[in-house]
Amino acid sequence: MARRNARRKKTEYFFDYTLLFVVLFLLGFGLVMIYSTSSYEASLTYNDPAYYLKKQAFAAALGVVAMIVVSSIPYHLWEHFAVIGYVVSAVLILLVLTPLGRESHGARRWLNLGLSVQPAEIAKLGMIIFLASLVCNMGKAIKSTRGFMTVLGAPVPICAMVYLITDNLSSAIIIFGIAVLMLFVSSPQYKEFFLVGLAGVAGISLLIFTITKLAGSGKLGFRGERILAWLNPEAYASGKGFQTLQALYAIGSGGIFGKGLGQSMQKLGFLPEAQNDMIFSIICEELGLFGAVAIILLFMLLIWRCMIIANNAPDLFGALLVVGVLGHFAIQVILNIAVVTNTIPNTGISLPFISYGGSSVLFLMIEIGLVLSVARGIKFND
Amino acid sequence: MSDYAENKKKNKTAHRKKICILCALCFGVFLYLIGRLSYLMIGCSEYYTEKAQDLHERERVIKAARGKILDANGKVLATNRTVCTISVIHSQIEQPEQVIQMLARELSVEENVIRKRVEKVSAIEKIKSNVSKEIGDRIRTYEYAGVKVDEDFKRYYPYDTLASKVLGFTGGDNQGIIGLEVKYEEYLKGKNGTILAVTDAKGVEIPSKGEKRIEPVPGKDLQTSMDLNIQMYATQLAEQVMEKKQAEAVYLMVMNPQNGELYAMVNIPEFDLNNPYQLNQMDSVSANQLSGKEKQDALNRMWRNGCINDTYEPGSTAKIITAAAGLEAGVVSLEDTFHCPGYIVVEDRRIRCHKTTGHGSEDFLHGTMNSCNPVFVTIGLRLGVEQYYKYFKQFGLLQKTGIDLPGEASTIMHDPKNMGLVELATVSFGQSFQITPIQLMTTAAEMVNGGNRVIPHFGVRVIEEVDTDTGKSQKIKRFQYAQKQHIVSEETSQTMRYLLEQVVENGGGKNAYIEGKRVGGKTATSQTLPRGSGRYISSFLGFAPADDPKIMALLIIHNPKGTYYGGQIAAPVVRQLFENILPYRESTVYAIEDN
Repeated sequence: MARRNARRKKTEYFFDYTLLFVVLFLLGFGLVMIYSTSSYEASLTYNDPAYYLKKQAFAAALGVVAMIVVSSIPYHLWEHFAVIGYVVSAVLILLVLTPLGRESHGARRWLNLGLSVQPAEIAKLGMIIFLASLVCNMGKAIKSTRGFMTVLGAPVPICAMVYLITDNLSSAIIIFGIAVLMLFVSSPQYKEFFLVGLAGVAGISLLIFTITKLAGSGKLGFRGERILAWLNPEAYASGKGFQTLQALYAIGSGGIFGKGLGQSMQKLGFLPEAQNDMIFSIICEELGLFGAVAIILLFMLLIWRCMIIANNAPDLFGALLVVGVLGHFAIQVILNIAVVTNTIPNTGISLPFISYGGSSVLFLMIEIGLVLSVARGIKFND
Repeated sequence: MSDYAENKKKNKTAHRKKICILCALCFGVFLYLIGRLSYLMIGCSEYYTEKAQDLHERERVIKAARGKILDANGKVLATNRTVCTISVIHSQIEQPEQVIQMLARELSVEENVIRKRVEKVSAIEKIKSNVSKEIGDRIRTYEYAGVKVDEDFKRYYPYDTLASKVLGFTGGDNQGIIGLEVKYEEYLKGKNGTILAVTDAKGVEIPSKGEKRIEPVPGKDLQTSMDLNIQMYATQLAEQVMEKKQAEAVYLMVMNPQNGELYAMVNIPEFDLNNPYQLNQMDSVSANQLSGKEKQDALNRMWRNGCINDTYEPGSTAKIITAAAGLEAGVVSLEDTFHCPGYIVVEDRRIRCHKTTGHGSEDFLHGTMNSCNPVFVTIGLRLGVEQYYKYFKQFGLLQKTGIDLPGEASTIMHDPKNMGLVELATVSFGQSFQITPIQLMTTAAEMVNGGNRVIPHFGVRVIEEVDTDTGKSQKIKRFQYAQKQHIVSEETSQTMRYLLEQVVENGGGKNAYIEGKRVGGKTATSQTLPRGSGRYISSFLGFAPADDPKIMALLIIHNPKGTYYGGQIAAPVVRQLFENILPYRESTVYAIEDN
């Protein structure tokens, strides 16, 4: 009893080791998979099999440091930067148009700030802080339609900029999705969300129907063709369906137990972006259904821990911050796995902590830092 | 507790509920995705694995050895030689300069030609094929990375030009193009094997994944009835007469009239089977001036087997048809007497005999010995159009012989409805219709072998080497050739043998007479169309022994210069042939004769 009391005195605040362990495991596992998927191509292109691994390991190390720093800063500090964060996000996106912007893979999405950074990643974090702060300041007004519409409307300018300026639909969807989830938690309404969801489903169905009707008319842009390729990837095997089909080959050929770590065939140049958006299909190929389900379970555990922290957060701001991060992880993991399994049309979304991408992992770690910081605010009291 | 605090707590509970719902929703989607993954990785695993394997595996063909062509004694007439194909794999080359220099030196190809191929960025680039095995082995000993030496088979004919139009040759994929090579393709060709190698997306093999080999199945050997010795000797004789008479072409066929087995088929000029695309009658300068189509036409002419592919007016040798028909119908007998004033009038035409002063009074035997046109015209007229045509058909002349060589030509004969007496008269002594030499010989065989229509052929059996527990053994398949019995009666056949033996002993074929042997035969000399061109075809058809024919030969000389009578220039050649091969044939037992 005495010992327990002593310990309680010592660790007055809660630290979520489970969450930390899950994140570090995913990060380490991601590095292993990046080496596995990229070493063949890297040794051909850069004559260094660890080329991608080194870059990612550096970003991951930076991320861990950032996480520790952020987790030790009281999260209320960020409330003051909510509006500034919003404005800075917008400015950074605009900066992509200046010579600071960097083009890669045919899209201008990066900023060269010593380290190559995607402003969309900053915008996600900025939006989480901004919306948490916005909802807290609204108080009861959130219950009104006006309040509802304000929260829903707040991310629209940023989303539009991400989509129009950096031509990055996936990030725009993620930012808007985070906003909707945060609104869902903060608003006491149910009916509205149900109606919005219903309208969304109806709209998407109508869109798909129209696109199928328009098939072959040549009036469709590349997004329309992606949807056709989604419905029948083998018919578009040499075009828009190529990557999806290659991912399906990888997943399907993995079977229950996989080919073994490092034994993937599809990573040998067959599957484009194997170390990036498509890394999950290589995990399936090498580690099989067991490996894939294990990774999904880890992500579920991560989300579960976030939920516990959100539910026990000392105040609404902290809870909403954690909900925003939770939403971010959940949306990105779900969309990524849905893309590689051809459950939804192909769009570029990376798998958190595992996919190759320096700025992505850095900001994900900062978000984890935020969650840990909120968790520290949880007091053990009877 | 204040109202505010109460409210705040309620709010907090509401938030907690929402967060739980959110979490549950997420977990629901995750479970759905796990279900989807299970479907893909268990249900569709086989399908996608197969597709992926197709994508990752590259096939390399291992060519199957083509079956040999053997003569009746098992001597090899066509076989395979190992040749090499040299290629380079761009991505694997480590010392490009050394490789270029080495290849240029060893293959005697210009350096810049090789440089272009070596420096080209491609998965695999062929440098040269049909390189001899010695050079290929030498290139291998350099052990340069990225240089590939693949062994391959190339058809090889040890006797170069011998029986070129009969054996035929093969094309780039080792497939038969003409002759026996194409006719027996299904037995000779074998089944190619494959090497399945795993490669990356650029086609580079991944050695650690290993190779799967499917061994090739070699082709079966074809054993023919051709006798290398007879073929060589016949070729020699035909070449001699070709040169002596400055002829355009000489055909010489030797057959067993009892079963249709061909011992030899010579078509002078022959061409080089190891070099079948080189025109033999033309120097390379003028050959190079030909257009593509002209060259192809010239090649097709060179490859033509005149014994089978071309028809001609047989002339007097065809009198055996009229004689046999007359005897069968009973409109003529050996004792019948005829009168030849040197011509015969049919309707308004005066048809001349080759002896313009006439043979005078003669019986049928002497009419045959003299090869007297009026005698055979008379027999033809006695038969009439309808009956003559009936026998023509019965003897099998309207059908192809069915020889196992491609491209046999059909007989060109009058339609009986349009056949007047003048046409009948000309047909009776071998003009105004055309048959192939093989058709004439097959018809002659049935007249003297007792009346059986045989199918002339070279292919006797196919031999397959089979691996068994006790070692290699042979599996033999013999071809069956049906005979049509009693095309003419045994009696008529006997009379024909007597008539044709008399032609050689005392008549126009006496130059074929061999002391102590019984030889039968018939000569022919016919002017080619258009008449009066001074071009002749001289021929002699002979068989021995006359009482039980074991061997039959047909020699045809196209457009001989100087003396052109078949009895004078063709008969002596056949005599020489028989003098040599009759004793040889009697003392040899062929490998194909044991069953």
